[in-house]
Amino acid sequence: MKSKAKIAVASAITALCLSSYVQAGDVYGPFPVTLKGYSGNKTNSVSYTGQIGRQVLHTSLKKLSSQGNGGANAGRIKAEMMSYFGGTDKNKAILAPVDKGDFNIKQETMRDISNTNLAGKASKGVVNGWPGQMTGRETLEFMIDKAASTNKGFDPSTGYDYIQLISKFTMGAVFYHQACDNYLDEKMGADKKPNNKPYKEGKHYTGKEHSWDEAFGYFGAVAHTLKLTPEQSYNVAKMKDLAAADANGDGLVDLKSEMTFAHAYYASSFDKGGKTNYLETITKAFIDGRQIITDAKGEALTDAERGKIVNLAGVICSNWEKVIAEAVFKYAGSVYNDVTKLEELVASNSDTKKAFRTYAKHWGELKGFALSLQTGKYNLGETGTKLNRLMGMGPLLMNASQVTGINSSGEFLKDEGSGWGEYKLHMLKVQKLMIDAFQVKARNKDKLSDMSNLAEKLGGSNSSEND
Amino acid sequence: MFDVVTDIFGHFLDPRKRVYLGYLLVSVLIAILWLIFFRGKSFSNSIKFLFDKQIWFSKSSRADFFVFLINRCISIIISPVLITQMVIATAIFYWLHGVSWLQSGSLQHIPDYIIVMSFTISIFLLDDFSKYWVHRWMHKWPILWALHKVHHSAEVLTPLTVYRTHPLEGIVFTIRGTFTQGISISSFIFFFGNSVDLLTVLGANVFLFLFNTAGSNLRHSHIGIRYWSWLEYIFISPAQHQLHHSIDIAHHDKNFGAALAVWDYIFGSLHHSEEVESLHLGIETDDKNFNKLSTLYLSPVLEIIQIISRRTGNIFSKLKSIKR
Repeated sequence: MKSKAKIAVASAITALCLSSYVQAGDVYGPFPVTLKGYSGNKTNSVSYTGQIGRQVLHTSLKKLSSQGNGGANAGRIKAEMMSYFGGTDKNKAILAPVDKGDFNIKQETMRDISNTNLAGKASKGVVNGWPGQMTGRETLEFMIDKAASTNKGFDPSTGYDYIQLISKFTMGAVFYHQACDNYLDEKMGADKKPNNKPYKEGKHYTGKEHSWDEAFGYFGAVAHTLKLTPEQSYNVAKMKDLAAADANGDGLVDLKSEMTFAHAYYASSFDKGGKTNYLETITKAFIDGRQIITDAKGEALTDAERGKIVNLAGVICSNWEKVIAEAVFKYAGSVYNDVTKLEELVASNSDTKKAFRTYAKHWGELKGFALSLQTGKYNLGETGTKLNRLMGMGPLLMNASQVTGINSSGEFLKDEGSGWGEYKLHMLKVQKLMIDAFQVKARNKDKLSDMSNLAEKLGGSNSSEND
Repeated sequence: MFDVVTDIFGHFLDPRKRVYLGYLLVSVLIAILWLIFFRGKSFSNSIKFLFDKQIWFSKSSRADFFVFLINRCISIIISPVLITQMVIATAIFYWLHGVSWLQSGSLQHIPDYIIVMSFTISIFLLDDFSKYWVHRWMHKWPILWALHKVHHSAEVLTPLTVYRTHPLEGIVFTIRGTFTQGISISSFIFFFGNSVDLLTVLGANVFLFLFNTAGSNLRHSHIGIRYWSWLEYIFISPAQHQLHHSIDIAHHDKNFGAALAVWDYIFGSLHHSEEVESLHLGIETDDKNFNKLSTLYLSPVLEIIQIISRRTGNIFSKLKSIKR
């Protein structure tokens, strides 16, 4: 075979392979404009820049949470944090993610994405499990106020790590809450945001199209997630894999569609373990749902179409909930390990400062995710009550005390907590609760897995051997 | 269908089971060598003696085989509903966390090899110790003896006799295993953390592996290998266990141990092996044919009902006499 022919055959085979890999429907967008009577020049009806804007406000807010210096700069830091939380300045710089090595970010200021805010979208329900009976927004504002006065986001007197608390609770109180308790719930109702009308006057997308897109934006997956392995999606969030992120090959990472954020990142972190496929399941349901809405061609959705959409919304939100429950499970295991480490250090009269900081970080993540879990569509009822009681309002401190509430001045009140051993038992029970209530499967840092692995190795106790 | 066959005959391929083909093969080799070097038989005579048709195809052996098959099927059905060692382990693990003066992970700084060796030895010892006591109770308590006599009704012994067990007795054994494993696993993980592991050979506890490669299958055989007297204080020899199956009243309630003889020695039930031509094996049966499957499975249940009704009757009559 002549060399040109060989190249042609090789090219054909390569093209065939690529075409089977990159199938239609693997990417969230573009989807055509279907709005009846639209006469503008837009061709893509997908739009979720407002949500990406909030993702970036969240990552920037997290960055700011660690910049307090113990009180001297509290006023400035608080004002900075509030400006991101409240979205009062569209020229604000994006503090995170920013360029890292060859991983260059396309956008630099909020104006490049969307002029938006987090405060207006935070859950308005009362947050159980955090002192003060505040709403989601009030809780986040309260945390921001406290964080600004700390040294690097950590308050050793209460054990609160505000970097983690603010970040993880924002992901729940804004992103998960808005997606699953609003856009994929109320706004999928027959009378809300109909598909035969624009989302808002003058927009080129329909009510249902944009509601669905907004929920996808809150999830935080890159548009071409289905072309990536969970490991790749994870590394995109970690800013380690430009090739995986840069779908259009322009050498830049477009935060609007090429960055893994928030819960999509956590889904990828669990899925790369191989036991779950949350990221693929959720993303595919989003794409399938968007296709159904697009296929309605600007007409109001029929009951059958809406039924399918509601089912897909159920798939998305139940799996999203599991992702958060997996995180609770994981960090309960981390807290258990941290407490064991602290006990060892105390027993050997060693310095506990560093270990306590790690413990507080993990506890902050645990609490943030636990609070988030309670911001979804349904009241978790007894599960929520148990969860809140098991971990308490604050981490168990070295003197076995714990935050139990706040006084009228907003100062924390503390009281005697359980013993260390009992607190570790509580973490075991939190893990069991996540298994029983949410059937978590990834189970990172499973504190009972060592026992079950050993039991399996022993070969079971079933024996009819007789002597 | 393939799964069912695998479930039934999987024990022959599982090094954690006594009838693993490898262990059976080693037992055959040991038996042949013993017959040649200690009984002066030729190789061909040793083979003939070892695979004596009158033993392997006797009514008793055939009953062993069918009991094995039936019990495996019953086990597949009832195993899922029995309490697992993880239930026990989790309950104990939780409970240990609530004991204020105990600290989980407090011994996890100990070198891993010591932890692994300690766990492997401990579970072997606890398993063997609990087997001793359950076996002893099987002989001493009438209700349990009604079940255990199924095993002792074997008139000849082959390695498959190890499965000549009433299903209810199998449940008792499973509960024993559940508790020993549950206790060992939970307490070790609690104190030593995630370094706890089992030292294994071919997936089996190394001590169990050694026990089985030392000819454990010859316990249930007509190969009466005896150990030195001093060794029979430590390990049960095949001949000692065969003596345990003897119908002779002098041998009753002796040598309950599974692998170790030390429990028998400590608790006064040790009997050294004896040089005998042959042992009369089995039980006094009151004319019952224990090689008949219906008798094997039903008569223990009927006997237990009789024992219970007799005892409850006694209680009622005592109560009546008190009232009078």
